Amino acid sequence: MSVTLTEGAIEALHNGLQVDTPVLQLLKKCQITNTSGPPRFRLAMSDGQHSLSSFLLATQLNHLPENNLLVPNCVCILKKTITSTLADGRRVVVVTDMEILQSAEEAGRKIGNPTPYNAESRMSASENLLSSTSVSASPPPAANPGPSYKNNSKVHAPQGSGRGFVEKSPMKFTPTEASPMKFTPTEASPMKFTPTEASPMKYTPKKVSPVKFTPTEASPMKYTPKKVSPVMFSPAEASPMKTSPMKFTPEKVSPMKFSPTKMSPMKYTPKKVSPMKATSASPGSTPKVIPIANLNPYQSKWAVRARVTSKSSIRTWSNSRGDGKLFSFEIVDESGEIRITAFNKEVDSFFSLVEQGKVYYISKATLKPANKQYTTVKHDYEMTLNAHSSIVPCDDSQGIPTVHCDFVPIAELENRHKDAIIDVIGVCKSADDVSRITTKTSREVSKRALSLIDTTGKVVTVTLWGEEAERFDDSGQPVVAIKGARLSDFGGRSLSALFSSTVMVNPDIPEAFRLRAWYDHEGYAADSQSLTETWSVSSASKMNWKALSDVKDEHMGHGEKAEYFSCVATVLYTRKENCLYQACLSADCNKKVIEQQNGRYRCEKCNREFPNFKYRLLLSANLADYGDNQWVTCFQETAEVLLGHSAETLGQLRDTDEAAFAEVFHKVNFTTHIFKNRVKLETYNDECRVKVTVIEVQPVDHREYSRRLLGNIRRLAS
Amino acid sequence: MAGILDVPKPRINCDMLLQHVNKPVCFLGRVEKVHPTGKTFTVSDGEGKTATVELNEPLDEELSGIVEVIGMVSNKGAIMATTYNILREDRGVPFDLELYNEALKVIHDFPQHYPFEVAASG
Repeated sequence: MSVTLTEGAIEALHNGLQVDTPVLQLLKKCQITNTSGPPRFRLAMSDGQHSLSSFLLATQLNHLPENNLLVPNCVCILKKTITSTLADGRRVVVVTDMEILQSAEEAGRKIGNPTPYNAESRMSASENLLSSTSVSASPPPAANPGPSYKNNSKVHAPQGSGRGFVEKSPMKFTPTEASPMKFTPTEASPMKFTPTEASPMKYTPKKVSPVKFTPTEASPMKYTPKKVSPVMFSPAEASPMKTSPMKFTPEKVSPMKFSPTKMSPMKYTPKKVSPMKATSASPGSTPKVIPIANLNPYQSKWAVRARVTSKSSIRTWSNSRGDGKLFSFEIVDESGEIRITAFNKEVDSFFSLVEQGKVYYISKATLKPANKQYTTVKHDYEMTLNAHSSIVPCDDSQGIPTVHCDFVPIAELENRHKDAIIDVIGVCKSADDVSRITTKTSREVSKRALSLIDTTGKVVTVTLWGEEAERFDDSGQPVVAIKGARLSDFGGRSLSALFSSTVMVNPDIPEAFRLRAWYDHEGYAADSQSLTETWSVSSASKMNWKALSDVKDEHMGHGEKAEYFSCVATVLYTRKENCLYQACLSADCNKKVIEQQNGRYRCEKCNREFPNFKYRLLLSANLADYGDNQWVTCFQETAEVLLGHSAETLGQLRDTDEAAFAEVFHKVNFTTHIFKNRVKLETYNDECRVKVTVIEVQPVDHREYSRRLLGNIRRLAS
Repeated sequence: MAGILDVPKPRINCDMLLQHVNKPVCFLGRVEKVHPTGKTFTVSDGEGKTATVELNEPLDEELSGIVEVIGMVSNKGAIMATTYNILREDRGVPFDLELYNEALKVIHDFPQHYPFEVAASG
């Protein structure tokens, strides 16, 4: 099949004119290596008439060449491009969206006989380019960030030979948002600036002798200008240099391995920048807003308009290098989200200004590759605020989503790994009350468990902690969305809100409305299946089952802490002598009272006298199973359950009917129960003994017991 | 009748019927259908498979729920019952037939631990 290329497109694109989805053939592609960050691909495209090699592929399309979809001779349609002008006048077309129309095999060979367009854009362009002033005259229309370049160029316009321009526009070039020239032009480095010309391209090697890139990382600029090496920019002249090391094309060196990331354009000497800074800071001249998804370090003048989705509190740290404080927040707009961190001084400036849920214009922050271990936000880069950053509240929040979430259907949670960070949305079917839990570190924390159900019909339990637990209002079965909860395998599958999670009740997003509608119509009746087992089951599954022989074999209780275990055992003997004692009547005081001469009873702990006492049980029993027997102590509660009578009744029975009293104890013998015990090594008058106390007595659930045994057998057999 | 009661009778399910032909067994299952004559009925085991039980005399009561049948396995794989027990469903914990089936499998998988022997003390 034949596909027609859009002739004249190359010319148009290069001149910055709008072309409607041109069809071009790929002649060559080459990968520009970076020291950090994703690779960049540079393409040479042809329209049958002309060819141009200054096409750059936006990183979001990197998968095309990496998966060998984009190969020389294939024909593609460029759906979105941005043409930008470098400060030196060269044009670069950044392709942000394209599709392959015909594979290389189908196309066969080079279509037409394209001649390289605008040879000046390549090597020999230097002269033209270097007279940058003219560049400013033709602003690239398509580029959003374009204006920044425009401004740039305009700014340096007067300078002519570069020197003056130094003052004017430090940084402003980042010609394309794509990558400040990370061209490793295989064919010819456009950057061939002949240093001789004091090109606005920032270095005037002539003037500056040994220019040294201050961004030390920019060493890849293996730029060896004929005249000067090593290149060193003295701030006075060279500040622009600093910003775009890329601009040199030492003839020798290619590819320019600059690590653009380090070269964050922002690192310009403030003093030069000040005029700039002032302009951008003033609310009146808000720079052109770009989508968050397009943010990258190679762009100098940008602004984003976004809503703050979550804000952390100020955290301080101190390590060997000193102390510091930071806070971070995430912003979202229609295109995506990104994380922003502010350190030290910026914390003071911005912490009170930034509020969750509000929309701001943010500009002039530093971009660098995202440190994925600190964040779950999906963006290649992250932002750091610096002294020049500006955050201005914005009133127009139209079009900005309140939050950007990738909700996972509850049924899918089973397929995710434990400890994954998940966003989830569901209707809160029910919520437990707030409970206070004391953690092992003796901190008291509130917690609350909610059951969320969604359209998949599955239910999962979500745990909220601290303030969120207390604040949560579950009336009316609200739609709850949680961003950044951690999936755990507690009780099957359950979710826990983290410090960094955001819990939104009845959020203003389409999924919430859908869920509300579904729930009101069908969901409330749906018989849902919970992924998180009920508490009783899960607590049973955590019981530490042991046989009585294990207590001795494993030296349980010998450590510092008491150990807990459960066992199925039979009562062999219960001691009826000394099973009852007279206890203090005060509530919560169970101390033994001494009978005094006057017939009253004295409690040593309360230091009080009472006319009466209450009977309490302290039962000694011998339990046994197939392996061993064990003497245990049962206190009041467990003894009453075991014997089946209250302490008072037994007290009276002892005084009245001896036989009946004995019978009670007799009946217990040879009954089997599930005992939950606490075992600890205790020292009593120089003697160390392992003491076992019964915490809970339960009847044997034979089915559960059988299942457990069958499981054990199978496990032992395999 | 006395003879069969003195002898160890392995508990089996439908899969093991054919290995115990002409041997006394104990089969526990849920009553499915009773033949109109009352002399035979089908039972299903924990795995859902069915077996036929044949009686010497017709039934004199309504049979339903879970029964324990003691008898000999015929060549055709039916159980010639000598006696049967009905496990009452209205009392105690409901009988878990699937769990029983699992236990049966364990018993037969590990005969060295679950030997079927005549009581030595006798």
